[in-house]
Amino acid sequence: MKRLTESLTHPWLTIRVQLALGIFFVVAALPKIVDPPSFAHMVYNYRILPGALVNLMGLTMPWVELLCGLALILGIWTGTARTLIGAMLVTFIIAISINLARGNAIDCGCFDPTPVPKTRVERLQDMQFVVLRDLGMLLMVGQLWWAERVLSPES
Amino acid sequence: MNLRKHLLEAATLIVAAVLCALVSNAIASRERKLALVGSYPNAQKVPEESAAPGPTASPSPATETASATVAVQPETTAPLTMTIAPVTQTVVSTTTAPPKAAAPRTAATPTAPTATAPPPAPAATAKSTPADLTKRFPPHPDKAYVEIAYADADALHNAGALFLDARRTSVYEQGHIAGARPFSVWESDIDDKVRKLFDERSDVATQALPIVVYCSGGECEDSHMLAQKLWGIEFNNVYVYRDGFPDWQKRGGAVHTGQTP
Repeated sequence: MKRLTESLTHPWLTIRVQLALGIFFVVAALPKIVDPPSFAHMVYNYRILPGALVNLMGLTMPWVELLCGLALILGIWTGTARTLIGAMLVTFIIAISINLARGNAIDCGCFDPTPVPKTRVERLQDMQFVVLRDLGMLLMVGQLWWAERVLSPES
Repeated sequence: MNLRKHLLEAATLIVAAVLCALVSNAIASRERKLALVGSYPNAQKVPEESAAPGPTASPSPATETASATVAVQPETTAPLTMTIAPVTQTVVSTTTAPPKAAAPRTAATPTAPTATAPPPAPAATAKSTPADLTKRFPPHPDKAYVEIAYADADALHNAGALFLDARRTSVYEQGHIAGARPFSVWESDIDDKVRKLFDERSDVATQALPIVVYCSGGECEDSHMLAQKLWGIEFNNVYVYRDGFPDWQKRGGAVHTGQTP
């Protein structure tokens, strides 16, 4: 058990997880920053936020993703960036799960805000995959948190 | 202490993100700019499940997809093939001739302008005068829009009705219904465009002329959102071409590419 803990919290793994997570978020943010109206449309399709907040979310969310991703890549404020990324992932998982539950087939808009022609069934399958993918990324956040706790318990 | 440090860093990151977003939006081109506060009345209304799922970019012909409509296909001169009553706002004007520059019907729509510039003469073919057009496609002030299929869209196009393309301008430039103007509901200048259109059609007679709005068909709602905006500013005769540009293109309707209508 101790050996497993050491392996999973080893700095070699931690730095790679941190870089991978940072790159994921930077890559996800850039297309949305380039085309805010398309991303706002994606936010609207989730049918969760009030109309007045759709554009604000469409404008600011990608920049939060970008700055958090850059922070992880550059090793600046990694603890805070990791926490914010974890919070965003939980939000995405909840938002997609709500739409899965009510049968609202939508494009995730996670990496590309351009609408893609798909059938309803394809969209629902993609949403299930996105939930699993985000859960995987949440595990990465968990690994970073665990590694920090092991390496510096006082934090 | 550590929690305070994390909160401070988190707040700094979020504030920096908001500032970056505001600056980038301020310097963005017209097509990529967003109004900071959106106006989407149906933002929390989940669309009804479509019974027959299909690709959104290539919808099947109008007569096959009109699941939420009453299909009426008369052989007479009345050309409407399908209608719905999609009004979702609570405030409904029932007058057939709304007063010039009256207040908008929804708070979310732009304020009605008071300009009195003479309206442009509506384009019409030799066979159709504006009076003919409004006779065949009468105003419907109690409904934000009426959905139509290709046959009616084509008839209105031939009669010189105004067509508005609700898709993104970049998509419009790749191909649109000939004569259609770009009116993307997701771009920041949409309210200005609607106001300008109201300036062009500031009298009751021209406001009653049919306007056809379309987007990409299928699950695309942009045309419906634009129709709601137009209805909110006293346009009483708006038609949504439900199957939109893919259907128009498939059926060989006149198409134009580029920035101009």
